[in-house]
Amino acid sequence: MHRFDDNIKKALRDILGADNVTFSGDELLCYSYDATGKEFLPAGAAFPATALEVSEVIKLANRFNFPVIPRGAGSGFTGGSTPVRGGLVLSTERMDKILSIDSENFIATVEPGVVNGDLQHEVIAKGLFYPPDPSSLKFCTIGGNIAECAGGPRALKYGVTKDYVLGLEVVLPTGEIIETGTATMKGVVGYDLTKLMVGSEGTLGIVTKTTLKLIALPEATRSLLAVFNSLKECADSVNKILLSGALPSTLELIDGVSIKAVRTYSDTALPEAGGLLLIEVDGDSESTGREAALIEKVCRAGGAVEVRSASDKRGQRELWGARRAISPSLKNLKPDKLNEDVVVPRSNISALIEGVGVIAEELGVVIASFGHAGDGNIHVNIMIDRTDPDEEARGLKAVEEVFALTLKLGGTISGEHGVGTAKVPYIRMELTEEVIALMKNIKKLFDPNGILNPGKIFN
Amino acid sequence: MKNLKEYIPDLDRCVRCGSCRGGCPTLGAIRREWGSARGRLALIRAHIMGNTVDTAVFKKHIKDCTLCGVCEVACPNDIKVTDIILAARAELVDKEGLPLGASLVMKGILDAPKLGPLALKAASKFQKLLGSKEGKSVLDRFKMPYMPMGGPERSMPKLASTFFLETKEARAYKKPPSEMPGGIADGPVVAFFAGCAVNYLMPDLGLKTLELLAKHGARIVVPQAQACCGMPPLSMGDMNTAKSLALKNLEAFEGLNCDYITTPCATCTYGIKETFYNTLSGEGPEVKARIDRFAEKVRDITDLMVNVLKIESGQVTSEAGIEKRSVTYHDPCHLARGLGIRDEPREIIERSGVEFREMKNPCRCCGLGGGVGYSNYELSSAIAREKAERVSATGADILATACPGCMIQIKDSLDTNNVDVEVKHVIELL
Ligand SMILES: Cc1cc2nc3c(=O)[nH]c(=O)nc-3n(C[C@H](O)[C@H](O)[C@H](O)COP(=O)(O)OP(=O)(O)OC[C@H]3O[C@@H](n4cnc5c(N)ncnc54)[C@H](O)[C@@H]3O)c2cc1C
Ligand code: SF4
Ligand code: SF4
Repeated sequence: MHRFDDNIKKALRDILGADNVTFSGDELLCYSYDATGKEFLPAGAAFPATALEVSEVIKLANRFNFPVIPRGAGSGFTGGSTPVRGGLVLSTERMDKILSIDSENFIATVEPGVVNGDLQHEVIAKGLFYPPDPSSLKFCTIGGNIAECAGGPRALKYGVTKDYVLGLEVVLPTGEIIETGTATMKGVVGYDLTKLMVGSEGTLGIVTKTTLKLIALPEATRSLLAVFNSLKECADSVNKILLSGALPSTLELIDGVSIKAVRTYSDTALPEAGGLLLIEVDGDSESTGREAALIEKVCRAGGAVEVRSASDKRGQRELWGARRAISPSLKNLKPDKLNEDVVVPRSNISALIEGVGVIAEELGVVIASFGHAGDGNIHVNIMIDRTDPDEEARGLKAVEEVFALTLKLGGTISGEHGVGTAKVPYIRMELTEEVIALMKNIKKLFDPNGILNPGKIFN
Repeated sequence: MKNLKEYIPDLDRCVRCGSCRGGCPTLGAIRREWGSARGRLALIRAHIMGNTVDTAVFKKHIKDCTLCGVCEVACPNDIKVTDIILAARAELVDKEGLPLGASLVMKGILDAPKLGPLALKAASKFQKLLGSKEGKSVLDRFKMPYMPMGGPERSMPKLASTFFLETKEARAYKKPPSEMPGGIADGPVVAFFAGCAVNYLMPDLGLKTLELLAKHGARIVVPQAQACCGMPPLSMGDMNTAKSLALKNLEAFEGLNCDYITTPCATCTYGIKETFYNTLSGEGPEVKARIDRFAEKVRDITDLMVNVLKIESGQVTSEAGIEKRSVTYHDPCHLARGLGIRDEPREIIERSGVEFREMKNPCRCCGLGGGVGYSNYELSSAIAREKAERVSATGADILATACPGCMIQIKDSLDTNNVDVEVKHVIELL
């Protein structure tokens, strides 16, 4: 639905107040896109403040049969919050309160529009820690994180969003407000609806409140940068480190293509290398020292020609500067990129990296691989120029081949960005018809009228 | 200055990643995508392509940006968001002119032949024009852009009875030291740029600066022909006034043979050091060379005191009893992000002997800039409220900053929110 009639407009204004809903074409333009860059104009945008308002809006949508698209910060990489079939974008920007941080029970209760980084700040001030740290943490919302099951570099040691969601308040696609989960660390009464909601990409319900698990803030961190001449030695070292008994909080791999781009296009000082590992360990000052020494030894034995280390904030920031410089630098290679976040069992990282290199060569495209190697999640960036149709076609072919390779290596085609609209064409590569049918039935059960975020995950 | 259409390639580089949402002060207060850089750029792009429907909506969202620059630091693609927003505003002014009040101020006061009595006369004329009562400060009644006037609800310093440039101290320095008998024979020659806030509202801050400069070995000159730095008209999109002011300032300071040009106003420092290039970009290589010579000499007062005059703890005489008090510091956008000056003000604080307490996110915009203090007081004060809360949370007795604009804005917010903290310029701690 691309335009609302006056009845719907009036009803929405009555529920939300005239200031908290817009039908202005210009303002709606601002709710037509996410980080995929594609635009689909909605018919309206709503800014509810409470679960009750969300529920009323959803009931209205069922009555008048229009789509509702939940939206956090619109930083998603797969089009999840774009209104591909028009309808009403439901933004959580006004539901942005941290309701409580309970330092006794190590839990926080927040509204979905809270920005991940703001929550991190508040809990750190209380000596606590919320580990999920997507690179977008300064702007993405907890609601979006839950809907995508976002992860970050720290996933290796601490897990991803789903490991920290204890309970949810959800408005179902039929308008009922339910609570799932518990405010305790354990709880097995009935099916685990919390886990079902996490990662459901806003298709099964709208999260209006959540209770999150916190842990104690590690006292110290230490960062290492290991330089390898050969990418293979670099990739092989990932698993060697993990088998040595060390458990870094993050273990990031940067390939030669990325290093070269950073060296050429940014001021960040990086040695010439075939591959780099950026590693962080956390704990107390003694344990981090010990762990760092062990990792350094393993890296050197594995072929590292240089290992740098920093325990102070400034030094660490410098080491991590390389990681931050990658994305902007890659832009200079080619204007567009197809960014896929595949995951393989970590013993297969080396095989994945090698295979990606072969695909790049065979198809004649530039591919830069980097990412959270420690948990097997590699960001494969296929660099193309969309104005060159031949190159674009080869790029898309490369995506398919990378997915096929990933699945052959026992992996999955998306570790954290979700399916949205971008990966719809590929899900049959990973899921069987039976599984897809079951998922569609679950969706139907939750959302008989198909009003919530249609056109996502399945078509 | 490039016209808006020339920014299309820059707009095309925006990948809509949303990084610029993080830390945007107007987004924080408005809580709608159009309050962020990404939303504004999307609107501007549609506007250029002829796809916006309602100019009033477009205009409002373009005006609501404080030009704080946080988005530019966050943007992975280096998009010059504030330049693009300025170009959009300039285009609007080109098409529709300035609102009456703003245009009177721009032409009548800021671009008056001198920042002196004539401007005052102009101001009092407007006062009559607007029917305000005798005895009430013209600025209480009259909204002046950038220098935040905001109506009766805003607490504001009164219009000074003697403008800074009219004081006998300032007049005593009207000629360059080389033309003056006596005085110290060596030491750097420092030209003082007052700026509107110091001239009209805070002459004492100007006098204090002169006193410090003299005490620390500078030879001073205060050219009387100086003008407004041009930031108010620039941020409102009034390019003609901005141009005229830039040229006036170049003329006023050329030929003084000074080593440095300084001011206690962060916005003026940024304005005269960085923006003339953009404002006068159409004027050819000769003007560009003149700007180069001028801009190279411009140093913020905190930078000058710490890095040139090298104040040492021993030399510093601070207010009596200051060591028993505590201070927190607000980074003005134009100083911290605009010129990368963050350490110098803190060094001055340290040398004054006062206890320092860093507030949360001291670089967060105070909400005044970009004409928002003028055009949308409600938004401006919503942003400032957060600042007041963060100041209050430190428990400090004093809020110090390095920009008269920020001082006025934060003072207003502290008053409105009943936070009892004194507001000072950092150099007033010395
Ligand atoms: C520069 C950059 C770096 C990134 N790095 C990472 C990374 O390291 N790891 C990672 O995992 N992701 C990353 N992302 C992707 C993105 O930030 C995450 O997917 C994030 O979780 C999206 O949050 P959002 O608030 O922007 O949600 P949106 O993009 O607005 O929405 C995402 C999905 O969540 C749904 N949704 C939003 N709010 C709710 C709610 N309250 N209830 C139900 N459904 C809801 C939407 O319908 C949509 O399907 C990155 C993105 C960018 C641009
Ligand atoms: S300049 Fe400041 S207020 Fe304007 S869009 Fe950027 S971050 Fe927001
Ligand atoms: S950060 Fe830059 S590229 Fe990303 S949305 Fe904002 S302006 Fe566009």
